[in-house]
Amino acid sequence: MKKWTGMLFALCAIISLILSGCASKQAGTGDALKVGTDAQFPPFEKQEGDGRITGFDADLLQAIAKAGGFKADLQHTGWDPMFEGIDRGKLDAGIGGITITEERKKKYDFTEPYFEATQVILVPNSSSVKTLKELNGKKIGVQSATTGEKVVQDAFGKTYAGLKGYDDLPSAVEDLKLGRLDAVVADNAVVMEYVKKLGNSQFKIVEDPSIPKEQYGLIVKKGNKKVLDQLNAGLKKIREDGTYDKIYEKYFGKK
Amino acid sequence: MIDWSVISDYKDLFIRGFITTLELTVVAVLVGMVIGLILGLMRLSGKKWLMLPAQVYVDLFRGTPLLLQILAIHFAVLPTLFQDVLGLDAPEAMFSSFVALSLNAGAYIAEIFRAGIQSIEKGQMEAARSLGMTYGQAMRLVILPQAFKRMLPPLGNEFIALLKDSSLVTVIAVNDITYAAFTTAKNTFERWAPYLTAAVMYLILTLILSRVVFYLERRLSTSNKKG
Repeated sequence: MKKWTGMLFALCAIISLILSGCASKQAGTGDALKVGTDAQFPPFEKQEGDGRITGFDADLLQAIAKAGGFKADLQHTGWDPMFEGIDRGKLDAGIGGITITEERKKKYDFTEPYFEATQVILVPNSSSVKTLKELNGKKIGVQSATTGEKVVQDAFGKTYAGLKGYDDLPSAVEDLKLGRLDAVVADNAVVMEYVKKLGNSQFKIVEDPSIPKEQYGLIVKKGNKKVLDQLNAGLKKIREDGTYDKIYEKYFGKK
Repeated sequence: MIDWSVISDYKDLFIRGFITTLELTVVAVLVGMVIGLILGLMRLSGKKWLMLPAQVYVDLFRGTPLLLQILAIHFAVLPTLFQDVLGLDAPEAMFSSFVALSLNAGAYIAEIFRAGIQSIEKGQMEAARSLGMTYGQAMRLVILPQAFKRMLPPLGNEFIALLKDSSLVTVIAVNDITYAAFTTAKNTFERWAPYLTAAVMYLILTLILSRVVFYLERRLSTSNKKG
């Protein structure tokens, strides 16, 4: 008899655990906006030792929320699950250096742009590369599904054999450092952060003016006008009252 | 509902992926068998200085996640070994994958060999030795052929597990089947077509593998009946 009650108790505990897991998946029911990010993209976002997500995007999101009079809960989901979470309604929005592209616009609505970025080429100091074209036939590391990958795909084909797509940018930079790659293509602000961290002597940044400039925006599910308006209103307000410039200067210095 | 056109856009990645996964599995199986046989025999040797290292090896590679082993070997062990110790270039991701998968498979296969050899009755060894064979001869001519038959089913399991686990090398940007599926899915936001294509490719490979093992089992079991 005792054995049975024990097992029954354990079963109940397991079922309640599973159910609580299901309940937390529903977004938009609480008062805080659930916002996903890929916290491996400094200085825009990175995860601190205690689990907090910090960076330009994190500060910007909290400023937007404050200005708009709502709460935002930023969580590290990873890059791909962020899009998937928005598709499935598990997340209300996504932030994380997301470039506004035609392909993404088909499935998501973007806020007004909040940052202008460009793709740059990171190469070892000894490299003679001056333009993207010169990298043809060489091994190029990118973070998969970013515009860095797209720039390389546009130049050398979608299935270019030298294109190495990593799940995260730090791994690509690590392989560049170890001499396994000839170059890494990624967003300028992020690459500059690496050069700063690794010391100037090892790498240099090559800017190719033929690579088009791009804009970052926050994304919401296509048609989610309520959240989109909330975010846009907050963004407009912090641009007007100078909060945006303060956050910008904190990370990138004077404009 | 499923947009299959994305597969033709990225077909080169899938073709390369299929070949790469096959290569990874074949190399890891072959090298893993050699490592496994040596370790298995070391563990049965009865000599402490042979048994202990083998035991530690098996515990280490069976007791830590393969994903961690791949990352550690690719970003820490091999670069340190090749660049700092040998003064060479850090080897490619494909080489790191061969090393990680082979070492990992070796640990599992060592256990299969050990259990297989131990399952042969002691009398077999004793009889062979009393006929004047050395330990090595008895092992090679009497014990191992019998043990191999018993090892085949668990070895088949291990090969299939290895084939599927090879998908983890995607994290170091090796273009295997999973990498092709991930890249296609991430770039096109189309999930069903790339994942299904990858699943079918893995199924083709695992089905071939399990049929080969099954065929070998049948071939070898006929010698039982004759005897």
